[in-house]
Amino acid sequence: MRTRAILGSILASTSVLIVGYQAGVSVTTSDGTSLTLPVDSAAGTDPNATTTETAPTDSSSGSSSGSTTDSTAPEAAAPETAATGPTDGTYTGSSVSTRFGNVQVAVTISSGSITDITALQLTDDDGRSVQISNRAAPILRTAVLESQSAQVSNVSGATYTTQAYLASVQSALDQAGA
Amino acid sequence: MRHVFETMGTVASIELPSAWASERAELERIFRAVDDRFSLYRPDSELSKVADSRLTLPSASSVLLASYARALEWRAATGGNFTPNRPDGTIDLNGIVKAEAIEQAGEYLTSVGCPQWSINVGGDILVSPTGAATAVTSPAGQLAPALLRAGIADPAAPTQLLCSLELRHPRRAIATSGSAQRGDHIWRGGSFEPAEFVQVSVVANDIVTADVLATTIVAGGQAALDDVTDRWDVDVITVDRAGDLRATPGLVSALASAS
Repeated sequence: MRTRAILGSILASTSVLIVGYQAGVSVTTSDGTSLTLPVDSAAGTDPNATTTETAPTDSSSGSSSGSTTDSTAPEAAAPETAATGPTDGTYTGSSVSTRFGNVQVAVTISSGSITDITALQLTDDDGRSVQISNRAAPILRTAVLESQSAQVSNVSGATYTTQAYLASVQSALDQAGA
Repeated sequence: MRHVFETMGTVASIELPSAWASERAELERIFRAVDDRFSLYRPDSELSKVADSRLTLPSASSVLLASYARALEWRAATGGNFTPNRPDGTIDLNGIVKAEAIEQAGEYLTSVGCPQWSINVGGDILVSPTGAATAVTSPAGQLAPALLRAGIADPAAPTQLLCSLELRHPRRAIATSGSAQRGDHIWRGGSFEPAEFVQVSVVANDIVTADVLATTIVAGGQAALDDVTDRWDVDVITVDRAGDLRATPGLVSALASAS
């Protein structure tokens, strides 16, 4: 259940942030002034309802949540920003109580888009910090993309037959004496 | 110098400094000895004789019994997800003896004082405690352990890499299990459902742990993945049937940067 809890807390914080952001929730800036972020017409849902819906989902819908982070949020911000959008900077959201514990995040906005999301408070149901968890979490292919072009000297893969070896990257590396 | 030879139905690629090239013969002997004793496709291997009752287990060699005992310990530790017994009861030590042979070859190279080496057998890799390639000098002027950059094959396109990472001491070993290359050869508690993960790579401090736990996660799916990452100090990256990835924080931080 721990994975679910950790994953859930990450999803919960992300959805609180995104939905809150889209629904025009107030956040407090670093200098103490309050600011209302633009409302996205597509996101008319109640943040709390969405949190409880999103949190317990499994990993497959977790990845779709992840893509929401990538695509929807910046788009939601973009049209409004020209007129009334938030100025660049880092905004700290209020602490939100979820079934996984208190969650608080900070967003960095640059040119009307979210460029960074930092969890200030993120606990799982044991109260143990998520950061010290060694659990495997979903990651996007783009997160590992850059490493594909690194020079390697060996390749790890599911055991190849002698015949399959001939067509493998390892074979090419061996011929090059890498 | 890179030495490539066939063994255990796959290919070994061993990197040694040129001055240690003469060790190749002994390394090949180590792998051949393991293959001869444990291969079920060799009718006269010791394990084949145990399998068809020509040899009883109590009269088997101490080497075979030690491997079997080690495999049984792993079966207990992994809740049966890793098992040395086929569904029909036959003892099959394939899941552990290749890693044991790599371990043995590594211990041999260390014992003769070979300073830097890497051993890759069928996609399971172990590097020397000092690193693998040419030593590099750190900015402080001290000799830093050289890193081995290992690619992980993309199960959807075996001629491409999914990602690359650095094996940093003490994380000297990486093993990958899956159904991408040799078919679905991992038993999953009698289940005929396709495996949840088509490929699992585990980075660990030793090659047997890496190999056994990679097999364990393929066999046990998400529950085994969580159990393994909770209980062992390893890094893991998995590819599921939809092609989606999961990775531990340690693995993400070990990803190689492009160069």
